[in-house]
Order: sequence, then structure tokens, then C-alpha cells
Amino acid sequence: MSSLTAPGPAKVKGRGVKRSDLLPYLGSKLVAALVSFFVTLVIGFVIFSLMPADPVRTLTRGRPTSEAQLAQIRVQLGLDDPVWERFLTFVGNTLKGELGYSWQFQQSVSSLVADRLGPTLLLMGTAAVLSIAFGLWLGVRSGWRHGSLFDRIASSTSLTLWSVPTFWLGMILLVTFSVGVGPIPSLLPAGGMSDPSLPQEGWTHVADVARHLVLPCLTMVLVVFAQYVTVMRTSIIDEMGSPYLLTARAKGLTDDAVRRRHAVPNALLPSVTMIFMHLGILVSGAITVEAVYSWPGLGYLTYEALKIPDLPLLQGTFIVFSASVIIMNLLADVVYRFLDPRVRAQ
Amino acid sequence: MSGSGVDTLNPFLAFFNGALDIFGSIYPTLNSLDENGKPGPYLAESWTPSEDKLTWTFKLRDGLKWSDGKPITAEDAAWTLNLIMTDAVAGTANGSLVSNFESVTATDATTLVIKTKAPQANVIYASIPISGIPIVPKHIWEPQAKNLKDVKNDTFPVVGYGPWTLTEYKPEQYAKFDANKDFILGRPGFDHMIQQSFKSTDAAVAALRSGQLDYINGVNPTQFKALQTDKSLLTVQEVGNGWTGVEVNHNARTRTGKKIGTGHPALGDPVLRRAISLATDRKTLVAKVLDGMGVAGSGYLPPAWPQWSWKPDAGQETPFDLAQAAKILDEAGYTKGDDGVRVDPKSGRPLELRLGIHSDDTADAGISTYLKGWLETIGVKLKIQTLSMSALNSDLAKGDWDLLMDGWTTGPDPTYLLGIQTCATLPKDDGTGGNTDAFFCDKAYDELFDKQLTTFDQNERAKIVAEMQAILYKADVDQIHFYANTLDVARTDTVSGLITGQPDAQGMYPAQTAFWSYLKAAPPAAKPAAASAEEGGGGTLWIAGGVLLLALVGGGIVLKRRSGAGDRE
Repeated sequence: MSSLTAPGPAKVKGRGVKRSDLLPYLGSKLVAALVSFFVTLVIGFVIFSLMPADPVRTLTRGRPTSEAQLAQIRVQLGLDDPVWERFLTFVGNTLKGELGYSWQFQQSVSSLVADRLGPTLLLMGTAAVLSIAFGLWLGVRSGWRHGSLFDRIASSTSLTLWSVPTFWLGMILLVTFSVGVGPIPSLLPAGGMSDPSLPQEGWTHVADVARHLVLPCLTMVLVVFAQYVTVMRTSIIDEMGSPYLLTARAKGLTDDAVRRRHAVPNALLPSVTMIFMHLGILVSGAITVEAVYSWPGLGYLTYEALKIPDLPLLQGTFIVFSASVIIMNLLADVVYRFLDPRVRAQ
Repeated sequence: MSGSGVDTLNPFLAFFNGALDIFGSIYPTLNSLDENGKPGPYLAESWTPSEDKLTWTFKLRDGLKWSDGKPITAEDAAWTLNLIMTDAVAGTANGSLVSNFESVTATDATTLVIKTKAPQANVIYASIPISGIPIVPKHIWEPQAKNLKDVKNDTFPVVGYGPWTLTEYKPEQYAKFDANKDFILGRPGFDHMIQQSFKSTDAAVAALRSGQLDYINGVNPTQFKALQTDKSLLTVQEVGNGWTGVEVNHNARTRTGKKIGTGHPALGDPVLRRAISLATDRKTLVAKVLDGMGVAGSGYLPPAWPQWSWKPDAGQETPFDLAQAAKILDEAGYTKGDDGVRVDPKSGRPLELRLGIHSDDTADAGISTYLKGWLETIGVKLKIQTLSMSALNSDLAKGDWDLLMDGWTTGPDPTYLLGIQTCATLPKDDGTGGNTDAFFCDKAYDELFDKQLTTFDQNERAKIVAEMQAILYKADVDQIHFYANTLDVARTDTVSGLITGQPDAQGMYPAQTAFWSYLKAAPPAAKPAAASAEEGGGGTLWIAGGVLLLALVGGGIVLKRRSGAGDRE
């Protein structure tokens, strides 16, 4: 008995050590994230302050504007303040959660971002879930039977789609399914997020938005899923020669069970990194897809801001995008610790 | 139509054409623009200047009501104009339009008196739809006047008066309107209108072809040609309200005459500028860059406003003549170097010129390719620089350029566009305060500019404006290449009467400004007007109600030139 109980306390002790390890681990990661965020703030400010921008002339172009009016707008937009003062205001406001005041939309950047966040998350989120699920599934299947006809078709199709320009693919899908080509009738709307002539609430609205979501989402998925196919396929192939799979087979498990219970969980780790990277850039939207389908998201807002350039808006979106990447990296680190014993052991 | 979307629904702050288009539909103005593009009655029934031309008395209509039922009086107009005159924030967008106003008073409910500091011939253009000042209801705006900067004006329906009432708006998605059935200038043909925003014209065209939209404007020539073959669509070309051309930096300088910038000194020589103009085949540019859908350029003001449009007399126009261009350069001593590039005899510098073009404009790219070929034939080398709009603006202000592709559109009053060629728009010595494009400054031109501003007979004024354009034409500093037509397409099965006016001999329609074309649009005569079905207000009835969907094609790079109310590129 004693020999059996002996490992007990050791085990408990071991766990205890790990728990106390967790806090410094989290702490160090958190500090690193905060440092990254501050560096991002500085970089963001420097980049956007160095841009040659006289927004007043670009904003007022073609509108009869007097010299006094131009001067007044300059004051209104805070362009007359010295750079250091603008930097301090910028950092202070960001810490307070205020992202500045957009030059072209003449309203707070936070409210603009908040307005566009929903549509972007809906589009990118749906596309991400679908491409992750579909890509991983296809990757596992292809890897497990690599060299087979299924593998060859799946790999070549996904890689072809991966190399197709998003804009072009979007246009092809648009013409095919919205205008209709040959026997294919006009099936789906060409753009926008909803049909304004329908009620903007209730189930009708949900169904309508879903209909509008199909083409942009499909475009994103078709372009993105190849990454998951490739990574997952490679990891599965790597795992296939491992002795533990041989053991599992020797236990008499079915091929399916070996794949699902043993190979996939271990092969999943590289994909997890990719998933979190993907989630990190989720909020930044997809400029091309949003532009092709007139999807009112953050990607397009950024593009609009660049044209002026609307520096506070660019800074604001830059911070939001950077913050989401930093947060997702932090989460990835934490999740990795739980998924991969090797990280815990470090 | 808008290349630049909606920036804000606050009419005191908005600059972008998308917003101005909306205001044109939902807020009244003192004058309208009649279907010929000239000032006509709207809130004001009549207007008379005093003997000394310093006082204008507007007689306003009686009995009009804001959409919330309160009467529209001269006090609303006086309050709006006074606020813009006295409050810097309120003057953000339209301050310059009232800068010569001494006072504005409502002497009674239907009389508005505007006193100006100096005689001003274009007072009747100060409050017209889209390019002028919208009048807002005092009772709604007065309580908000203190925080005007933060007013989003997004409480729906927006209280106003116009052919339409704005009932719903989602940024970058759509704006919904209900018809004002009692609109004084005519009841709209549809009960509802939705303007939908599309980021790409290709998607808008797809939406039109699939029946999602009934009308789109501002398509590009290639799309237009493709749609012309579709029997279910009506394609319409309107004469352009803007020009595209090249600016020549003929020695940039400040108001005090101090030279600035890095412009090539040889461009100060009228002979070289003339040679560049002679080496530009405007007809080919129209044919190749616009697919024939435009008019070759000459005068400074676009053909959409025929009352101001000017052409050189027969025999006076600059022809396309490469041999003549080479000849005058030879005669002026610009000899060719070993590499075939001519050399400026005064500075000894080869004629290598930078041409700045907009990075987001395919027309600029097309034009620059042709120009490069033509100019190289006459021994002038072009270095094409693709720049963003803000970089281009920044270079322009500093005079760090030789040639720039440029474009302007204008509303019906030519004052502002003519004004940017006056000496007053040159920058100050510290680089600020400038609003010029070619750094043009000519005393005779300035005198005519002042004179047209105080000439109240519009025909006499047109003659002066013509003289000014002749001076500009001769100076060759703003070389106008063409006026692109505005290209619109409508579905014939769902909309009729959208385009008003008769096409001319070339099949071109007059420019449709303000709300006229939407106003007259109606369901096709064969179908019963579904307007009454809408009375129930059920959401799905919107479809049955024959909704006019109007694409607001935003962000279309090529389209920006055709923007509504004056858009400088």
C-alpha cells in the first residue's frame, strides 16, 4: 500500500507546483502583451503622423470654402496642435477607451468602429468557423489517405482556390449566382447586408441577412480553407508513422477510431496556432470581399479612411486590430499550455 | 450619385456628395434649380434686388409646413443663415456662401431680407439644392445649436421639407425616404424611395440586372456599352458637369511673388505650354479613354451649364498638330539633345517633366499613356508619377510638380470654380491659405472676376465669364482634355419617366440636377401605380409598393469625377 500511496503526495505536490507556475506564466504573458500594446500605440502614432496629410483640402474639395473656413476646420480637427501634444492626447484618450474623432465622418471613432464591428464579425466569424471546420475535416481525410484520388482532388482544388485572387473569385461568384449565367438563374443578392425594402427585424430580417451572407462568406471560405487543409494534412502525415498509432491499432481499434481518438488530437496543435492567428485578424475584416459585396464592415471603413487619409480613424482601427491580435495571441498561449504538456513542462 | 458617400447627416458639417444629395431631397432651399439648370422658385416665390443692389427681398410661399406639421416661415430661413454667419461650427460647410452677407432678417412670416456688404450677383445661388445652403426648421435645431458639432441628426423621420422625408438611414447601407405628397414643386411619382449604397459599380450593375435595383448612375463606359444591348434597360448619357485635364505648373509662387516649389522653369514659357496643348489629341482621348462618351474639352466650364459654356471661335481653337508643336519649339530654341529630348535654352535643363496622376483613377492612367507618346514625339520626356490624392494635394500646395492630372465638377454657379484661378488663391509666404491649382494669377482675369460678381444681368454676366475663359484658354495652364458624360441606366420594366428633358441631336440629355429626375420617376404606365398599396405600412408591401431603388455608387474609383456638387480631384 505504501508503495501505492507514495506517489500520491508527490502528485499533489506536482500539481501544486504547476498551479503556482501558472500565475507567473500568465503574468509574464500579460506583461508582454501590455508592452506589445504600448509599442503598437507608439508605432501607430508615428506612422500616421508621418503621413503627408492635409485632410482639410481633401475633405473640402470642390466645396466653396473661404480661407477663414479652412483655418477654422483645421482648429476644429486639432491639426494646429503640436505633435507631442497630439501624442499625449492620443495615448491618454486611448487608455480611457476613446479612439479619437474621425475627420471625415465627424463623429467618434469608437462609435464608427462599434457600428461596423457587428457586420464584420458576422461575416468573418461565419467564414472562419466554416473554413476551419471544412478545412480541418478535409485535411484529416486527405492526410489519412494521402496519395489517394480523394487527397489529390482535395489538395489541388484547395490550393488552386487559395491562389485565386479574392476579388476575382468574388466577381465570378457574383456574376454566376446573382446575375445568373446560362441556365443558372439569379439566386442571391449582389450586395449589401440586407434588403432595405424588407423589415429590419425579426426572422424575416435574419433570413434576409443570411441570404446576403452566402456569397461573401462563400468567397472567404473558398479562399481561406486551403490553409487548414494543408496544415492539417501535413500534421496527420507526420503523425502517421508514430509508434503510438501502431499501439492503438494493435489494441484492435478501428481505423476510424485510431484517426479520431489518437491521430487527430495530436495533429491538431499546429492548426490551433493558425486558428488563433486567424481569430486575431478577424475584426480587421476583408477589404476586398467587403468591397465586392458592399458589406458594411471594418475592412471597408479602413479603406475609406485611407483615401482621405482620416488619421484618427486609421489610428483607431489600427489600435483595435492590433489589440485583437495581441489578445488572441495571449489566449493562444494560455490554451496551448492546456493542450500541450510540453509547454507546461517548460 | 456619389463617389464620396455620406460623411454625416448634419447639414452644417457635411461635405461629401452623398450627404449633399440627401439634403437636396429632404431640406428646402430658397431657390430651386429649374430643369434648365437656372435658379427658379422653391421656398421663395419671387426675389428682387434693391436699386443699389445691396438688399435682396425674398417673398416666401405661405402655407408650407415642415414634415412635423409646423409652418415654414421666413424666420426659419433667417435663423439658419444667421447661425451660419455667426457661428464658426455652423459655418463649417457653407460659411463661404454667406461671407458677403451683412444681415439676414425675417420682416414677417413670408418676407426675408438679405443685405450684402457688396453687390453680389449670385445671391440666388446661395440657397439652392445640393450646392447651396439647406434651410432647417428652427424649432428643431435651435435647442441643439450649442453642441452643433456633436449633432448627428439621426432621429427619424428627420423633420424637413422637400420631395422626400428621410425615414431611415444605415451608414454605408441605405437611406429610405417617404414621398412628400404635398410637395410644392410636384408630387413624387413613387411613394417610397430607397437609395442603396454599393462599393463597386460591378456589383451595382449585377444588382440592376438581377432586378435588385431599378436605377443606377455613374457607371463606367465599358459597363454602359455592355448594358446598352439589354432590351430591358434604358441607358442614358447626360452632358458632363465637370472636366478632366492637366494642370501646368508655370512657376509656382506665393501672393507676394516669391517663387516656391520645384517646377520645371521652362513651363513658364508660353511656347512650351502651347506646344504641349498642340500635342494633345483631345478627340482621341475621348474616343479611347471614355469610349466616345464625352465631349472634347476647350472652355473651363463644363457643358452641363450651357449658360456659361464657352468655346473658342472657329479657327481659334488649338488643333492637334504635332508638326506645329515641334516647329514652335524649334523656333524658340529648344534644341534636341543626343537622346532626342529637347533642352531648355535658358536653364540648360532637358525637358523632362513629371506628370502626377491619381493612383485610383484608371482614366488618368489611360490619358498619361497617350500624353507620354505624343510629347515624346515632340522631344518632351514625361515621367509619370502615380500618387494618392493626399500626396498629390500636398505636392500641389508646395509647387513640387510639373504637370498634374486634375478634374473639377461644378454646380450651376461658376463663381467658385472661376475663383480658384484668381490671384487671391495663391498661397501665403508661409505656404498656408492657398487654394489654387495651376498658380494662375492674371490682373485682367481678376478684374473680370470681380465684374461678373457684380453684374446682375445674367446674360451680361455670361459674356464676362466667357472672356475669362478665353484668357484661361490662351494661358494654357489648365489644359482641359474632356468633359465626361454622366452615364445612367434604369430598368424599363419598373421605372418610367426617370430622365426628364429631351435628348439633343447626339442623343444626350441635359444634366439632371437636384431632385428632378427622381421626382418625375414613376412606375411604368402599364402597371397600376402601387402607391396606394403602401398605405397599410406593412413591411413586405415595400416590394409591392414599387420601390425605386437608387444605387448610390460609393467609392467607385472611376466614378468620382462624375460626382454631384463639385468635386475636385
